[in-house]
Amino acid sequence: MSSSLEKNMLILRSSDGEEFIVPEVVAVMSKAIKNMVEDECASNTIPVPNVDANILAMVIEFCKKHDESEAEAASDLKTFDSEFVNRGQEALYDLITAANFRDVKELLDALCQNVAEMIKGKSVHHIRIQFLGYQLFEILTSNFIWNIWCDRDFD
Amino acid sequence: MEGCGDFLQWLGPDMSMNILMCLKDPSDLVRVCSVSSSWRRFVIENSLSKQLCLRLFPEISSLAHVIEVENMIEPIEVKPDNSMEWECLKRDHRVYAFLARGLTSFVRKDCVSEAIFASSTDNYPEESIQNTLEPSDRVEQRASYWSSEGESDPTVPEILDYKLIAKLCVITEIHVQPFQAYFQLGFPIYSAKAVRFRMGRPRSLMEIGFRDEFEAGRESPLYAFEWTYTSPEFPMAQENCLQKFKLPEPVLCIGGILQVELLGRVQRQELDGLFYICISHVQVVGRPLSSGFDVDIHGPSGRCTLKYYHGAEHCQSPTRAPEG
Repeated sequence: MSSSLEKNMLILRSSDGEEFIVPEVVAVMSKAIKNMVEDECASNTIPVPNVDANILAMVIEFCKKHDESEAEAASDLKTFDSEFVNRGQEALYDLITAANFRDVKELLDALCQNVAEMIKGKSVHHIRIQFLGYQLFEILTSNFIWNIWCDRDFD
Repeated sequence: MEGCGDFLQWLGPDMSMNILMCLKDPSDLVRVCSVSSSWRRFVIENSLSKQLCLRLFPEISSLAHVIEVENMIEPIEVKPDNSMEWECLKRDHRVYAFLARGLTSFVRKDCVSEAIFASSTDNYPEESIQNTLEPSDRVEQRASYWSSEGESDPTVPEILDYKLIAKLCVITEIHVQPFQAYFQLGFPIYSAKAVRFRMGRPRSLMEIGFRDEFEAGRESPLYAFEWTYTSPEFPMAQENCLQKFKLPEPVLCIGGILQVELLGRVQRQELDGLFYICISHVQVVGRPLSSGFDVDIHGPSGRCTLKYYHGAEHCQSPTRAPEG
């Protein structure tokens, strides 16, 4: 371990080569990293392939907050979570992929919940615009009176 | 927020499952199915409606496999070779989506339809169990309550059986009001020490109607009903109010029979020195299955068939598309 590095710190290297110095307790919130550390196959620099610096920074921010705030009120953390996941869909999906790949359960749950919130109580029309982003359906289905028991196959 | 990506394509099946499993309302899943053919296929192939329904109502697992034959849905043996068939999955999806929706409808307080059995009655019919269906303790100047027979032993329990308005109900709370004898000296309240609730179904095929000890003798209803749920004991206060007993979790009653067990007596009657229990009202709070569904119970095995009648309700579309 390099002398300049404080004890219990790890270096995470993103897919685009940027390095982050992170306390071990924070890094091991990722099960994947935890396993590496436990199996002692982690040198002082842990590569995090498939996750770029931008996304890795977000994941670390989330883990840090959750590590610090163990003593904090749960409601504060909830507010943080809901603000944290409130992002554009692209970032959201990249984060989900990263959280899944690095196995950060709390983050993954918060993110999936957030996407689900975009569906809850929304009309089919709204969901299509939100996730499919085109309106072709509207033309095709303008005369289509949808009913939950109308068992129509689209295929 | 600006929309952009289809998560099914971006994230793949595992993460899409994670997202869709966050949905708690069956209507959301049904809407998701209409978004596109790939979303629909995904929801149906992964039995998400069924999974949600079983998460919401674990008790339903006894009806785990369903098939629709003409206008009927009944459980069949799970055959591994055809369990993944698309038609079968589509049916499951439809049934469970509807079932979950039917059961998560509005909560009503009048889930009792009939009083069917009292383990004893002091004066019949003046003090019949039928009076407990009436919310007020007075009807046209006359007291309205059920009274047990007197016992010298305060531990002797009593039983009241009720039929619910649907054979499938999700029950959340039961309210019981003990009776205060406002016409007796000292206004005694004849409550019980504790209450416990059971839910189940008739053991035989016979139509369940009102029986009380005068009609059916002292036959224990334990022989007539098969109980599938027994609640914990709740202490009862000796107070003249509608006492609310909230079940630890919502319970799916298959068969539509509810039993109120009154455990222990607290009030002695001055006149004869015996202990009585008197109840002025019983109320059951829950969600009965909507009228599109019915349940047939087959014999002592307790196997039941879930039937779904097309067009009975919720079928607003006059032009139902043909199958396939």
